[in-house]
Amino acid sequence: MLLNGVVLAVNYALIALGITLIFSIMNILNFAHGQMFMIGGFVVYYLYGLFGVNYFASLVAVVAVLGVIGWCFEKFFFQRMRKMATREENSMLLAVGTALLLENLALSFFGEKQRGVPPVVSGVFKIGDAFLPAGRLLVMVLALVLIVGLLLFVQYTKLGRALRALAQDREVTYLMGVNVDRIAALGFALGAALAGLAGGLLMTVFGINSGVGTVYSIKAFIMIMIGGAGIVPGAILGAVVLGFAEAIGYALLPGSITYLLIFVGLIVFLLFRPQGLMGKPWG
Amino acid sequence: MRIIHFYRRQLLNGIVLLALGSALFSGSLLAEEVLKIGVLGVMSGPAASWGLVNKYCAQTSAQLYNEQGGFEIGGKKYKIDIVAIDDRNDPKLAVSGCERLTKQEGIHYIIGPNVDTTATSVQPVAEASGAIYFPYAFQKSLYSPPHGNAVLGMIASYQAGPIIYKYLMDKRGVKSVSFIARNESDPLDQRDQGVQAAKKLGLEIKSSNDTYEPGTTDFFPVMSRVVSNGADLIVLSGVAPADAPLLIKSARELGFKGILSTETAQDIKILNEVAGPAAEGFISVGGASTPEIRSPEMENFVERYRKIAGEWNDEAGTKVYALEMILQTLRKAGPEAINNVELFKKAMDNFSMKNPFLKEDKPLKYVGTAYFSQARQIGVPMVVNEVKGGKFQTLFVGGVE
Amino acid sequence: MDQATDNRCPATAGEAGGSLFSWQALGFTGFLLLVFVGVPVTFGRLPYFITVLTNAAVLSFISLGVWITFSIGRMNLAQGAFALVGGYVTAILATRYGISFWVCLPLSGLVSAVLGALIGWPMLRLKGVYFAMTTLSLTEAIRLLALNGGDVTKGATGIVNVPPPGTIWIFGRMVVPPFSSADPMPYYFLAAGMLALGLVAVWRLSNSRLGWVFRSLRQNEDLATSIGINVAKYRVMAFSLCCFMAGTGGAFFVAFQQNIYPSTYTVADSVNFLLYCFLGGLDYLFGPIVGAFLLVISFELLHAIQDYQALIYGALMIFCMLCLPNGILSLRLRRFDGRRNPKA
Repeated sequence: MLLNGVVLAVNYALIALGITLIFSIMNILNFAHGQMFMIGGFVVYYLYGLFGVNYFASLVAVVAVLGVIGWCFEKFFFQRMRKMATREENSMLLAVGTALLLENLALSFFGEKQRGVPPVVSGVFKIGDAFLPAGRLLVMVLALVLIVGLLLFVQYTKLGRALRALAQDREVTYLMGVNVDRIAALGFALGAALAGLAGGLLMTVFGINSGVGTVYSIKAFIMIMIGGAGIVPGAILGAVVLGFAEAIGYALLPGSITYLLIFVGLIVFLLFRPQGLMGKPWG
Repeated sequence: MRIIHFYRRQLLNGIVLLALGSALFSGSLLAEEVLKIGVLGVMSGPAASWGLVNKYCAQTSAQLYNEQGGFEIGGKKYKIDIVAIDDRNDPKLAVSGCERLTKQEGIHYIIGPNVDTTATSVQPVAEASGAIYFPYAFQKSLYSPPHGNAVLGMIASYQAGPIIYKYLMDKRGVKSVSFIARNESDPLDQRDQGVQAAKKLGLEIKSSNDTYEPGTTDFFPVMSRVVSNGADLIVLSGVAPADAPLLIKSARELGFKGILSTETAQDIKILNEVAGPAAEGFISVGGASTPEIRSPEMENFVERYRKIAGEWNDEAGTKVYALEMILQTLRKAGPEAINNVELFKKAMDNFSMKNPFLKEDKPLKYVGTAYFSQARQIGVPMVVNEVKGGKFQTLFVGGVE
Repeated sequence: MDQATDNRCPATAGEAGGSLFSWQALGFTGFLLLVFVGVPVTFGRLPYFITVLTNAAVLSFISLGVWITFSIGRMNLAQGAFALVGGYVTAILATRYGISFWVCLPLSGLVSAVLGALIGWPMLRLKGVYFAMTTLSLTEAIRLLALNGGDVTKGATGIVNVPPPGTIWIFGRMVVPPFSSADPMPYYFLAAGMLALGLVAVWRLSNSRLGWVFRSLRQNEDLATSIGINVAKYRVMAFSLCCFMAGTGGAFFVAFQQNIYPSTYTVADSVNFLLYCFLGGLDYLFGPIVGAFLLVISFELLHAIQDYQALIYGALMIFCMLCLPNGILSLRLRRFDGRRNPKA
């Protein structure tokens, strides 16, 4: 049970990190995040599942494809929107539009069926009373490596620092001579690539279909709300909380009551602590 | 304000033009006798495959008939024209879609919708405008008097359950059973019916409360609870083709050694891709046309279906029946029935023909009297499959009376 | 918030209240004529169009509620939840206690409004994305509650065979004939009536002192507090008004479809209500109406394209936002800007 929680938490963290990155930079909830996750899964399906490309090479391809998609979205859609809109909220329609577009493109190109790939590694580990299939372990380890890598990147590289600066204060960053538009596009690309990677990883365990996007988007929203929107460590914390809540809830309660409690809990929690666990107060 | 009116008027003008256009268009086609059949179902979003298979099946059959100059009713050949509408599983869109089909297109025979929510929503419209519809939803009230315009297009799981359990008790010595269902109307209903049937047969029910949410992808937690009950048989009630392999995989990874079965149709390709060897021995109700029992006519259909849809879907083996039944019953009822469903209903009562999709010589009828107290179900053969070596193998063929 | 918005909004609102008043009244009369005479005469024989227009009318009625919460500066994703509540109130009262639809309709709105006030009181302290996400959670929570409601909501099997609205008798005379599913016309008139009433109410409201208070909340709540406005009270007022509209709208759809399931309203519906407002333009009262009609009708028109219907629908949405990021009605704003209000 707890083991399930760990596996879930690590996978969710990857999704949450991507969305929080995009949110912190642009103050937009990326509604298409789940769809990007889905496309990542499909890239792996085609490359690894159908054409027999090495799994890790497929993951690199995922980063490339999603990075380009994310970059284009920011460059051609959101940047233009931000310059023209009188109210910030307007960009939400755009975000939902992109989600719809990606989902339906996927439906047209990838078909309506559930897809899966042969396991990358096989075997089951038994730890105490719990079972841990090797496939899940691999996904978990890869996700952990990626998360640590990302944290180091954001903390110590020049680009990472620029991203953080942008998240904190757009104007000041601009005044410091940083090319804000370029950095924002890169940030969006990075967020999209993370979503795709999560899709590519989880795909080996759960399979994928054109319609899974929305579910993951909503889960991602919950996680960043728990942790505090736009805060990188907060996203990880949120993922841990959600992962464990889900694993423990499913083990003790009938299916949908778990999520009912998670949602009610989230509402009550936000009422008392609107900025999430680690966020700064709003406004 | 004026701009708004301008907008709306322009839009309305557009609609009028479109309506006029389509009226003219259909008028010119009428010269060569066209029979329009509607397909209403979910064709986008997570459940897209259900409605899309209906659409592809209807289009395939229509293409095959049209190539021979049409389908003959009362001495005249009719071209079959399929009008498909996506309801996105939204009852609002299903209602307006049904209005469009019945009132706008003048259609009286509709294939779909796919779930309880949409099927019950179109019921008033279909009845009021005199249309027969073929839902793939299991709510009994749709098919029972006083309602009589819906015809169930497949075997309901509550009909398949008892037959499978009986077989497994007799042949595999199954004594106890656990149920797991998706938390939605159809699957829950199927589970309750399954539990009742199993009790009647004398099976021990180990557990039946476990459910999972639509959209769940990690079945480990819920499955570990089910497996820990130690039943001989785990029934996946109303499981979607997308979920089945994941459930099976989790159960096997958790060390479950018994039998897994479901009462709904599954897809072998997905089972293989996602569950791989774990799917071995999984029992499901087949699309009614597995390779072993196909007639040459069915082979022909499968080949054409591949061209239209890209790849074969086992579900299509069941869904091929709806259009065929509509056409054959119309042929028997005569051309007046095209616009008068009462004649169609009368013809349904003692309709019987040789099943064109089966190798064996078996009759094809309307059935379901035992469940709905009237014959409002297509007598699709019930093929029970077992996964053997990555392929479906027919375990036995049954049917509903 | 950028400076331009803050300057422009009072200006347009001022115009609306003053010189444009007669224009608006005229426009509204035209609208009424179109809806109650024009449409029935033109499309009376085309029930399908009537159904589509009915859907669009009630959807825009519900989104009008969302527009009110926008006017106090909150992005409301709970509208689906309250529509579901209203729907269940009507379905339960009508099937179990045989209460007439005409009693259920306002009652559903009332129950939703009270519930909205209770939940809204603490929840409205949140702002921005946090409010949006909390309301999104509420939509999911209410759906799951209905799913696990046992005998009250009948869980996943839903409540079916809800009777259609019955006859209204006043002093022994039949005022409203019974509705039947054979004819969508009565439903259309009911829907159009609801929309017209809702429009008048919200229009009056936005030009009254209350409307000014609401807008001041959007621009700066602290400032509003400092000049003695009871911010919490007005916020809850706006929110429960919004919930009332959701509740009655939900009740209408129950009578129209004669059933309700937990999945009748989901997060997707809540998002759609927002989208209608965005598309039409947040700064315009007619925004949600234009948005809803345009999206509903264009989706239906796209049936012709079959396979790519949903795809083009999404592309269209993006295209609209790229060309007119402030809503379709901003076309009008630009024109007026050029002519009458060059400074803004």
